Amino acid sequence: MTWTCVQIEERLSDYVDGLLSASEQREFRAHVDSCRQCAPLLAQVTLVVGRLRTLEMEAAPAALVSKILDQTLGPRKTRRNWLGWLPMLWQPRFAMGTVTVLATLLIIFQAAGIRRSDITAASLNPVNIFHAADRHVHLAFARSVKFVNDLRVVYEIQSRLQPAGNPAPNNAEPSPVPSQQKSPNESQRGHSANGTFAFATAILADAPTRSSR
Amino acid sequence: MEPDAQLVQRCLRGEGPAWEELVRRHTRRVYNLCYRFTGNSFEAEDLSQEVFLRIYRTLASYRTAFGGFPTWLTSVTRNLLVDHYRRTRHDRVTDSLEDVMPKVEEKHSPVRTPDKAALASELSAQVQSALSRLSPDLREAVILRDLQGLEYNEIQEVLSVPEGTVKSRINRGRIELARVLQEMGLRPG
Repeated sequence: MTWTCVQIEERLSDYVDGLLSASEQREFRAHVDSCRQCAPLLAQVTLVVGRLRTLEMEAAPAALVSKILDQTLGPRKTRRNWLGWLPMLWQPRFAMGTVTVLATLLIIFQAAGIRRSDITAASLNPVNIFHAADRHVHLAFARSVKFVNDLRVVYEIQSRLQPAGNPAPNNAEPSPVPSQQKSPNESQRGHSANGTFAFATAILADAPTRSSR
Repeated sequence: MEPDAQLVQRCLRGEGPAWEELVRRHTRRVYNLCYRFTGNSFEAEDLSQEVFLRIYRTLASYRTAFGGFPTWLTSVTRNLLVDHYRRTRHDRVTDSLEDVMPKVEEKHSPVRTPDKAALASELSAQVQSALSRLSPDLREAVILRDLQGLEYNEIQEVLSVPEGTVKSRINRGRIELARVLQEMGLRPG
């Protein structure tokens, strides 16, 4: 018995799924191999079924399981994990931040002249850290006090320089400054230096007088 | 791996972790069935939740005599999908093949990188588009057989129809799908 095209179409899936008997398979093939309509149909169906079976399942949305469990079991308490923050450190932004902090510390240590060999276990002792910090604060304070005092002297010198920089023609005190005999140009060029020298000399000359008072 | 039937028994005793395990084990399967049937990921997600909610409420009615748990789960999913289809039938605007064709042709553009993942994704979209052209009866039969990998007798249980009807629907569904995909450009060789 030879199968018709209608029969072939009806038993197509049986053939694809291997549900035909050996004799049915032979008759099926005999028709398909000689039929211009059934051959391409079988090829197309075989291709499609093959492709469907290779298709992987789509991934379900990540939150779907949680949503289902929340709806059925109710909102679940999340377990507290004290080390739960650790994975956050692997995030790029934290890594970048860590590198930046380390680089900053390195620059600060370089600038402060602290060497790696200077850092020992003892230097990490809080008491030692406190003492070192206290010493540095006092040193800084002493330096700033000295700086302010120096500034006072400088201002005093500058304020006294003003009259010395513009020497009056009828200056009562004879000035030993040789610059006064120089040419006006030279005098102008060396104004600051000569003035300072003149004032320093005046201070020195004045010092015994003031101390005697 | 603990059998589903045991997990169900533990669930009925009120053990939450057993239910969690069942959900994790079968979510992807249910979601895919919904997704392939509706063709919409949001609808599929909502329907999957609805399926598990229904399963959770009716778990006590499950008997191993009904068949395996996955078959029962598929059956519940299928019934819900049919309800959903009937509910939304009037709202649905089926796109014509002419609307689908340009999208498919665009995907055949030669500038696309022919890597495996892209090809698989393209085929998946094509299949999804072609499935939506089938009638619900043929569509569900093909999905259950060729995408979910169910046996004929399992499909018979899920659809509650005679074996002959199952075979006929699968056969007609495959031929219809093959013709639609051929029009879309999927050909042998």
